[in-house]
Amino acid sequence: MRARRVDWRNASDSDLAAGFSDGDDSCLEESFKRWGSLIYTIAYRALDSSSEAEDVTQQVFVGAWQGRTSYQESKGSLPGWLLGIARHRIADRQRARARDLKVVRAATSQANVKVESQPLVTLIDRLVLVEEIQRLPHPRGTILRMAFWEGQSYSQIAERLQLPLGTVKSHARRALRQLRVRLEEVTSWST
Amino acid sequence: MVHVNSALLAGHALGQDDALDAADQQHLASCSHCRAELDQYRRVVTLGQGTQASETPTPPLDRIWRSIQAELAPPSATEEIAATKTMMADSAPPVTANDRPASDVPRNDETANDKPLSVVAASDETTDAGGEKPIPGRRRKWWPIVAAAAALGLVVGAGATVIINRNDVQVAASTPLTALPGQTGHGTAELLRTPNDPELRVSVDGPQPADRYREVWLINSDGQRMYSLGVLPESGTGTYPLPTLLANGLDGFTIVDVSIEPYDGNPAHSRNSQVRGSLPE
Repeated sequence: MRARRVDWRNASDSDLAAGFSDGDDSCLEESFKRWGSLIYTIAYRALDSSSEAEDVTQQVFVGAWQGRTSYQESKGSLPGWLLGIARHRIADRQRARARDLKVVRAATSQANVKVESQPLVTLIDRLVLVEEIQRLPHPRGTILRMAFWEGQSYSQIAERLQLPLGTVKSHARRALRQLRVRLEEVTSWST
Repeated sequence: MVHVNSALLAGHALGQDDALDAADQQHLASCSHCRAELDQYRRVVTLGQGTQASETPTPPLDRIWRSIQAELAPPSATEEIAATKTMMADSAPPVTANDRPASDVPRNDETANDKPLSVVAASDETTDAGGEKPIPGRRRKWWPIVAAAAALGLVVGAGATVIINRNDVQVAASTPLTALPGQTGHGTAELLRTPNDPELRVSVDGPQPADRYREVWLINSDGQRMYSLGVLPESGTGTYPLPTLLANGLDGFTIVDVSIEPYDGNPAHSRNSQVRGSLPE
């Protein structure tokens, strides 16, 4: 058991994971601060219900804490593990809804059933990316946001930020490489 | 073979048309490793470009965190019971009644609206509400005490009220358990008054599916909360102490449910129930 009340705010995900599985409850709190909002957002977008999103978020962190001894870093990162639990919880609820829907359809002979618009895995990847893009430091984050979300060309960005075009381009490349690595780390969990 | 520099691949995926020279292009055409990496960058670009900060409401993080803390509170019985009462009063999500809300469980209104049974008052015995039973929600401690009571061979019909003196044990209420649609089996649940805490005796006559176990639940008629009482032994008969909070009355937890559970490590109700019945309040 680690000494309590270590300041985990600047800890790496990996150190935080170690403290988490050791049972240091301040790591649970820090994990919630880092990923609670993301998991809520994913659940909200997947289930379109704020109360269900709250329930799922609560279940994910309670379940992870109660099952912390089964976390293995070799299988993936802590956020990857949390997102894996969230994916299962959300999928459970989606299945339950589909079943209810089937019952309703059988009862009313309605043929039109709304189909899930995008796979859960894609939704999770998208929302993880939004979060990571928002966390990118200046100037690479600013550049990538201008390119991705404002549809600006690199020369427009260079002009607005008063940076050489080559610098803008290489920042964007670094940002993209960082995002790819991060997406891989955060979402891969081998179950 | 020298692969294309990652940064250049990233630039190419970003639409920087001067990123790759002719040699790089040629290499790319014949190298699956580099193409795979390029595809990953392209996927990030596609996902990232199509995604904006969205209309999702601000997460009520403080409230969720408080709920998490309450659910994980140290197992001090008095604290948790106090917390439970508060939450029940606030009709908050089911924190102590573990797992999912009962509304997730397939409904069986026929059973839920079963004919009322009369409750026989405990004679001169008082139930002991101050027992040291583990608090609900920590289901590992709720494994059943296997009943010797089955030896009594009681038959309790629907609507019947029966008092059996087995030393100090009385059947205070009972209900038949009937199979849910698609299931077979039937049984009985009896609320027992004992000199100590009240108990629920469940007896199911029906098959236990292979590679599954059965679990006994008390579900609140509000459709929001449930307790796991424990595993039903393969014999189909078990006796379970009631959660301490229900020692003085079922408080709405009147629906007796026997679920079929896979060995998947998930403590939640499988939503696959075999039989169900409803005790009078």
